[in-house]
Amino acid sequence: MKRLGVKKKAGDIPLLICVFLMAVFGCLMIYSASSYTAGVQYGDKLYFVKKQLIGVLLGTAAMVGTCFIPYKKLIKFRYPAIIIAAILLALVFVPAIGITNYGATRWIGFGGVTIQPSEIAKYAYALFVAAFFAKNPEKVKTIKGVLPVLGVGIAFCVLIIIEPNMSITMCVGMLMLCLVFLSGTNLKTFAFILIPFAVAVPVLIILEPYRLQRLSAFLDPWASPKDEGYQLIQSLYALGNGGLFGTGLFNSTQKYRFLPFAESDFILSIMGEELGFFGLIIFFACCAFIVYRGFKIARNCKDRFGYLLASGFTLVYGIQVVVNALVVSGTIPPTGLPLPLISSGNTSLIITMASMGVLHNISRSD
Amino acid sequence: MGLAIAFIFCLIFTRLFYVQLVWGSELKYKASDQWNREIPVIARRGIISDRNGQILAGNLTTYSIFLRPNAVKNPEHTVTVLSELFSLDAGALLEKIGEGKVSEITVARQTSKESVEKLITYNLPGVYYSRDNSRQYAYNDALCQVLGFTANDGTGLSGAEKYYNDILSGTDGEISYTTDIVGVETENPVVVYSEAKAGDEIRLTVDMDIQLAAEKAMRSVYASANAKRVSCVVLNPQNFDILAMVNYPSYDLNDVPRDDTETLNALSRNSIVCDIYEPGSTFKVVTAAANIEEHLRGNSKAFSESYIFNSSRTRSVDGTKIKCWSDHANGKHTNQTLAEALNNSCNPCFTDIALSLGTGTFYNYLNSFGFGNVTGLDFNGEALGMLVPQSLVRDCDLARIGFGQTVAVTGIQLACAVAAAVNGGKYYIPHLLKSVVLSGGKEEIYKPLLKFNPISEKASSILASMLEGVVTEGSGKKAYIEGYRVGGKTGTAQKYEDGHVASGKYVSSFVGFFPADKPQYLALIIVDEPQGVYYGSTVAAPVAREIFQDIITLKNIQPYV
Repeated sequence: MKRLGVKKKAGDIPLLICVFLMAVFGCLMIYSASSYTAGVQYGDKLYFVKKQLIGVLLGTAAMVGTCFIPYKKLIKFRYPAIIIAAILLALVFVPAIGITNYGATRWIGFGGVTIQPSEIAKYAYALFVAAFFAKNPEKVKTIKGVLPVLGVGIAFCVLIIIEPNMSITMCVGMLMLCLVFLSGTNLKTFAFILIPFAVAVPVLIILEPYRLQRLSAFLDPWASPKDEGYQLIQSLYALGNGGLFGTGLFNSTQKYRFLPFAESDFILSIMGEELGFFGLIIFFACCAFIVYRGFKIARNCKDRFGYLLASGFTLVYGIQVVVNALVVSGTIPPTGLPLPLISSGNTSLIITMASMGVLHNISRSD
Repeated sequence: MGLAIAFIFCLIFTRLFYVQLVWGSELKYKASDQWNREIPVIARRGIISDRNGQILAGNLTTYSIFLRPNAVKNPEHTVTVLSELFSLDAGALLEKIGEGKVSEITVARQTSKESVEKLITYNLPGVYYSRDNSRQYAYNDALCQVLGFTANDGTGLSGAEKYYNDILSGTDGEISYTTDIVGVETENPVVVYSEAKAGDEIRLTVDMDIQLAAEKAMRSVYASANAKRVSCVVLNPQNFDILAMVNYPSYDLNDVPRDDTETLNALSRNSIVCDIYEPGSTFKVVTAAANIEEHLRGNSKAFSESYIFNSSRTRSVDGTKIKCWSDHANGKHTNQTLAEALNNSCNPCFTDIALSLGTGTFYNYLNSFGFGNVTGLDFNGEALGMLVPQSLVRDCDLARIGFGQTVAVTGIQLACAVAAAVNGGKYYIPHLLKSVVLSGGKEEIYKPLLKFNPISEKASSILASMLEGVVTEGSGKKAYIEGYRVGGKTGTAQKYEDGHVASGKYVSSFVGFFPADKPQYLALIIVDEPQGVYYGSTVAAPVAREIFQDIITLKNIQPYV
C-alpha cells in the first residue's frame, strides 16, 4: 500500500463544530447575563462580551492549531508542562503579579492580560499523568510506581487550595483518581491513593472554618439569607423562575444584579432561568455529546498515551460541567468553578478549546 | 464508565427537575419579594355624613411623593426641583439621598394636584407619586370631638375617625414595579397596578341642623356665663340616637393644633362622654322613677303620689345632718307631694325615698338605669362614672345619692337614664352610627339595642307628667315653651377639689325633653363653672329652651292644642 495514496483521516469534525458553537452560545448567554450589570458597573453593556469574543477568537485559533500538532509530540512536554504550571501557580503568590478578587488570589497579570494558572494546571497534570503511565505502564500497579503521580497531584492541590480554590482542587483530585483507574491500576494501589483524600477533608475544614459555615449554609441557605446562603438562594430563585420552558432569552430577572457571578460561575442559573428545564436538558445533551465523543476517541485510539490523554482532557471537561451543575442546583456546597466553554473567563475558554483540538488530533491518528 | 456518566447526569436532571418544576413556584413566590418595589395607593377614605346624608368629613385629592435614592440620576437637579415644588429643605433631602441608608424616602404627603402635575413634566427618575387622602371637614369646629381627626397618613386618631377607622380606611392598593437589586427600575419594567378599595361611608345619627342649633346655643351660654366649659347632648329618647353633641371650647378640624399636644388633648376631649361630674338634682329623676315603679308594684316602702313628705329642712342619718339647699323659711318646701318635691327640688324628700327603699332596691334601679357602667356608646374612652360599691355604701351615702350627691356620672349616662325614665321605661344602647353605606350604595342600618327595662310604661308616664310640672310651675320654668309639652329637671352641684367643696365653683345643668307624652327630643345641658348666677334653673334651662325652639322651627313641629 502506497503511503502517499492513503488519505489522511478527517477526524472528529462534529466535536469541533459542537465546541465552537458552544463557545459562541456562551457569548450570547454572557451578553444576556451581564449586559445590565456591565452597563451599571462599567458603563458598557458589552464589557464582558467583548472580552469573551477575544477569547473565542484566540481559543478557535488555539483549537485549530492543536488540531494540526501531532499529539504524540506532546509527550515530550510532560515535564516542562508541569514545571511551567507549577511556576505559574507559585507566581500567584508574588504580590506584584498575583491578583486578588473576592478574597481569593487566583489570577496573575502581565500588563493587561490576566490568566488563571489553575486552569492551565489541570491540563498540564492530565498531560503529565497520561505521559507517565504511557511510558511506565507497569508502575500503575504498584504503590511505589504511582508515587510521582500522587506527589505532583498533591503538590498542585496544595498550591491551588491555598489560593484558595476548593473546586479546582477537587477537580484535580478527581482527575487523578479517574486517570489512575483508567490506567489499569489494582485495588491495593487505588486504595492507597484514596488515603490522602480521606485525610484532606477534615484537615481542610480545621484549617479554614469558613468551609463548615458554607456547608451549613448549603444545608439551609435561608438561615443566613444575606451572607453564606445568599449565592445559593439567588441561584435557586433563578432556576425556579425558569420553570419548564424558561422566561425566554434576555428575559432573566435575576440578572438585575441579584445573582452574583451571573456571567461566570453561575451562568448556568441564568440559562436555567431563561431557557428553562427543557433548555438545560438540551444543553446537557450537548455537553454529554462532547464527553461521549471524547471517550470514544480515547477508546478508538490504539496508542496508550493517546488513550490516556484523550480520557484525561475529556475528564477535565466533564468533571467541571458536572461539578458546576451540582453547585448551581444546590446539590453540593457552592464553590467557584466556571462552566467550561460558556462562563466568562478567557484562560479556561482558550485552554479548553485547545484541549478539544488535541482530542481532534487524536481522533485523526491511526 | 458509561454507567457512571449516565448516573451523574440523571442525578443532575432529577435535581434540576425538582428545583425548577416542583419547588419552582415556591421559589418564585419567595423571590418576588426582592424583584418588586411597591408604591402604596392609599384607599380613598370613606366619608362621614350626618343622618340626612350631609357630608361632614370628605376628601381632597392629594398626592404623596416618594423618592428612591438609588434610582435617582441627578441628585442635585432632583432635589432642586422637589424643594421648589414642595417647599422642602433642599440640603437635608440631599443629605438623606447621599447617606443611602434607606431605599425609599417619603418626600411629601398631601400635596396638591397642581404641584404633582408640574412634577410630572420634569420626568425625574427615581421620583414617584401616588394618591393619598386629605380630610376636609365641612363644618370646621362643629361636632369636632365626635368626628375626630386623622394622622397625616390618614389613620383615624380620635372620635368617629378612630372608632370607625376600619370601615372608613378601606384597603390600600399598590403599584408594583420590577426593579434591580438596589431599586432601579429594570429595562422593561413590569408594572402591576392593584386597585385600592375605597372605605365605606358612615352616616351618623347626628342631625347637623340640630347640632348647629345646639352649637350656637352652647357658645352663647359659654360666653354669657363666662363658663370654664360647656357641654350638651341631644338625643332621641325613642331609640337613643344621638342627634347632637357639643363640647365647647372646641378646635377647627381643618386646622388641628397638632403642635400643642396639651391644648389639643383638652379641646378634642368629648367631655360629655369621657368626663364625670356630680349631677346634683337632675339625678332626682332616677330616685323618683324608682319610687313610682316600686309603689306601683305594691312595695309598702315606696311613697304614693299623694304622700306628704316631712317638711323639715334637715334629716339626720348616721349621726350626720343632711340639709336642703333651701332654708324652708316662709312656708317654702312645706307639705310637699312627690310632684311638688320635684318642682321645688327638695333634697330631704329624696333622702327619704332612698333610705326607705333601701340599698338593695335602690341599687337595682341605679344599675338598670345604667349607672356604674358605660352606656356602650360607639365612642372610645367612655368613662364609667363613680358609684360607691353596693357592699360599701353607708346610709349617709345612700341618703345623698338620692338627690345626686356622692355619685359621679357622665353626661351621656344621665341623659340616657332620664330618657329611659320618660320614654316608657326602655333603656337602649346609645349610638352615633346610623348606618354604613357600602360602595355599591347599599345602606346597612344600625338597629337600636334594648339594654334594660328599668320601669314600666305607667310609671314612666306618671314621672313624665311630674317633670312637665317642673317646667310649667317648678324650677324649670325657664325652659317652658308656650304650646309645647316640655318636661325637665334642673341641677346645681358644687364642685369638689381635693375632697373639699370648692367655693364658688358649680356645675349647672338641665335635662329637658318634649313632648312630655311621647318624648322625641331630650337635651342635657351642662355648664361647668358659670360665673355669677349659677343655678341650673337660671343658667342651663334657658339653653334647652333655645335649642328646643330651634328644633321646633327646623322640624316644623306643630304646637299642642
